[in-house]
Amino acid sequence: MDRAIDLGRRRFLVATAATGGGLALGFSTLAAADVVDATAVSGTAPEFDAWLVISPDNVVTVRVPTPEIGNGAATQLAMTITEELHCDWSRVKLEFASATRDYIEDNVYSKPTGALAFFGGRSTVAGWNSTLLQVGASARERLKAAAAVQWHVPVAEVEASNSVVSHRASKRSLSYGQLADKAVLIKLEQEPALKSRSEWTFLGKATPSKLHLPKVVNGTAQYGIDVRLPGMLYAALMQSPVQGGKLKSHDFDKIKDMPGVHGVAVIEGGEPLQQLPLITQLPREMNGPRTSAVAVVADHYWQARSALAALPVEWEDGDGARWKTTEQVVAEALALTGKSGGIVQKSLGNAAEVLAKQPKIVAATYTTPYCDHVMMEPLNGTALVTADRVEIWHSTQAPKHAHRVAAEESGLAPEKVFVHPTLVGGGFGRRIGGDDVRMAVAVAKQFPGRPIHTIWSREETTRQGRYRPMLAVSMKAGLDAAGMPQAFIAHEAGRAIDAGQYTDFGPLASTIGLSDASYTSGIIPNVQVESHTLPIHIRTGPYRGPGYNSNAFFMESFIDECAHAAGIDPLEYRLKLHANWPDPGWTLCLKEAAKQAGWGRKLRKGMAQGIAIGNFGMLGQPKTGTVVCVVATVEVSKKGVLRVDALDAAFDCGRMMNRDAVRAQMEGGLTFGLNMSLNEMLNIKDGRIVEGNYDQYPMLRIADMPKIRIHFGGLSDHERYSETGEPPVGPVGPAIANAIFRITGKRIRSTPFRVHDLSWT
Amino acid sequence: MNKTLNINGKPHEVDADPATPLLWVLRDHLGMTGTKFGCGIAQCGACTVHINGAATRSCQVPLSAVSNAGVKITTIEGLSLDSSHPLQKVWVEANVPQCGYCQSGMLMAAAALLKDKPKPTDADIDAYVSNICRCGTYVRVRAAIHQAAAMMNGSHHG
Repeated sequence: MDRAIDLGRRRFLVATAATGGGLALGFSTLAAADVVDATAVSGTAPEFDAWLVISPDNVVTVRVPTPEIGNGAATQLAMTITEELHCDWSRVKLEFASATRDYIEDNVYSKPTGALAFFGGRSTVAGWNSTLLQVGASARERLKAAAAVQWHVPVAEVEASNSVVSHRASKRSLSYGQLADKAVLIKLEQEPALKSRSEWTFLGKATPSKLHLPKVVNGTAQYGIDVRLPGMLYAALMQSPVQGGKLKSHDFDKIKDMPGVHGVAVIEGGEPLQQLPLITQLPREMNGPRTSAVAVVADHYWQARSALAALPVEWEDGDGARWKTTEQVVAEALALTGKSGGIVQKSLGNAAEVLAKQPKIVAATYTTPYCDHVMMEPLNGTALVTADRVEIWHSTQAPKHAHRVAAEESGLAPEKVFVHPTLVGGGFGRRIGGDDVRMAVAVAKQFPGRPIHTIWSREETTRQGRYRPMLAVSMKAGLDAAGMPQAFIAHEAGRAIDAGQYTDFGPLASTIGLSDASYTSGIIPNVQVESHTLPIHIRTGPYRGPGYNSNAFFMESFIDECAHAAGIDPLEYRLKLHANWPDPGWTLCLKEAAKQAGWGRKLRKGMAQGIAIGNFGMLGQPKTGTVVCVVATVEVSKKGVLRVDALDAAFDCGRMMNRDAVRAQMEGGLTFGLNMSLNEMLNIKDGRIVEGNYDQYPMLRIADMPKIRIHFGGLSDHERYSETGEPPVGPVGPAIANAIFRITGKRIRSTPFRVHDLSWT
Repeated sequence: MNKTLNINGKPHEVDADPATPLLWVLRDHLGMTGTKFGCGIAQCGACTVHINGAATRSCQVPLSAVSNAGVKITTIEGLSLDSSHPLQKVWVEANVPQCGYCQSGMLMAAAALLKDKPKPTDADIDAYVSNICRCGTYVRVRAAIHQAAAMMNGSHHG
């Protein structure tokens, strides 16, 4: 067993050195990995533990399991270690931790947070904070002890600061780099105590540039699509246009003489070669069975792409083709919302009975369409498969899941599979499931010994999504004499997010934001929320704020309808509803956003404000997740031209580790929610996705942006550091729709708003 | 037959079909991967380079159109020798990029703007920078362009 671990570690060091040193150089090293001495490749940099290496040139290398998808999670983990390590931040370097090593060494990286470890989202959850602070503190004390031994002084007399250990009395000092080789041999008798939060000097105070940015601005940052290896060929991929269909025929002879063409890879649909057990990983269902596909392999991508376009291909569409139009999908989903006997997602009191007794009933149906992530880096992956080894270079959002998918698809043992994460050109949930990993391995294994770089065109990326599901909901509220809801009933229909039984994204996933909202978790005494499954073939997946990105629109538009029916100001109504809710963040955020936006001020004709509030991550619990309240200031011309003038947002994530990083996530999340609400919709024709590129799937540009103002007065200082990337996505759309209603009298019950006639007189 | 391209002030020999878009010549033939593929239809701007100083979407420019010595191509790798362009400095300091994938195109569009209009208005920015960013960095892109312009104008006047 020890030997296996040792071998794994050696491979790991080799692989890491190759990644760090540049992929092109690394390739020849990797191919010879088993015979190369690890230290000869990685230099003499001593390892403190799996997380931390300090090299003689005084560079601190932190190995982070989280990928860098743009939210700064990787940088944030390095910052957490830095707080206790007392190292010079300007000499801190990031390296992506090895999922293979995690597998071989008993979950060395994923122990603290389980599935979240090798996952894009979060950098500030409790498991990270305690583990990484301890890693930093422990290394610091070992460095101090090494110096004390060398100087023959008591360790209590030495100090560690800014990557230097010093002894004031004798005016001696040594850098961490000079001490590291001795420090790693030191075993502490007991782990040092951590600083209290009030003693922090870096976390919560510093807002440094993300560590990958210097390479972004000069073009040297390496994303998955930038991987270049000696002997590498390019593949252009096409999967069954109707998801679940299969390849009927193709005629390679017609393209075999085109320039640069090497061959074609036919990928049979079906299950992978082996299924491995779950070990704190994401569920297999997020990926699903292998799709039927064909790929053309050539010297260059342009050649592969041109040849694929010329390749005669016939597909057998399968059952999915029965979904002829978008309207049919929406109609069948809406029909389901009228049925009883769904999966009960929430049941409090006796909603049906109480609702019937109320003097006023508000009822409405809402829908949201399929949306794609359209991250800027199209899906891609580079794999090198041999008889006893798989290497994959990949912009994955979930490296540990990628590791398992590559092992399953290749049929090789997981310790023979090596994932090299690159920077990620946008994730938003799309690069979690690993279908892109699977296709890269499936193509490459047909060209053993050659690295194959498979690229999905933008159209292929968009049409083969794991989409935000189309959802339909019918809602009913019974309002009492004072206009306040005493009972709420909702029936939601759609294909739930393909996420299996993963606890956070389980069967609940499609109703997050509806069944776990504050209103349905104690504010309204009688609640019934049921979900109904639409038996459609189109694959779904997490998309920034899963479930919540639709349900916040449904819930907050509907609450606005209730406020209107009650004749109460929308802000006042929400304040009343949350008056006794045991989480002060909601009221704080409502008041802060309203105050900063000047709620109630007089606006010119054609302008109005709308308000909405939501929380992603609460799962029905107060003081959990992050609350975001948005006031949208909106103008609609009489002809119906919509202009969003400003978004004022207040939020409560408890506490912040990095104010500027939180602000950036708020700005980005609001912009994402804005585009989703104004613009995004995929259509279905004969089972296929119609839209393929940005000309059909419009995106906001800089000229379209409203003023975005992030306010910090909603923070409750509750002792949590909740996520900030997903929560802002929810309330943007309903805040705008609620403003549109106040201007035009039209209640907008579906997104995107661009397809609605907003004209008024 | 080999063609010669003038990129970032240096000649580069390429053996590719004359119809190959400049984007793929840069990325796959010359290994200059800073210029990104986003859409292939001139929508997103991730592939923006300068051709004789003008911001141009390289996915729409065939090799044959740029393979003579008179055509000067500048890519993100050549925006400055040492990341010293004021835009590059501000971009890092102000944490403008999130994932960063679209940002070489953003920077090239912004650099062309500042060359034409050293003191751009918001409307100028709107007109010159039509690149797509999915992470939602637009707020910071605008602020950073103004900041870089101020830096450049400051240094001109001592």
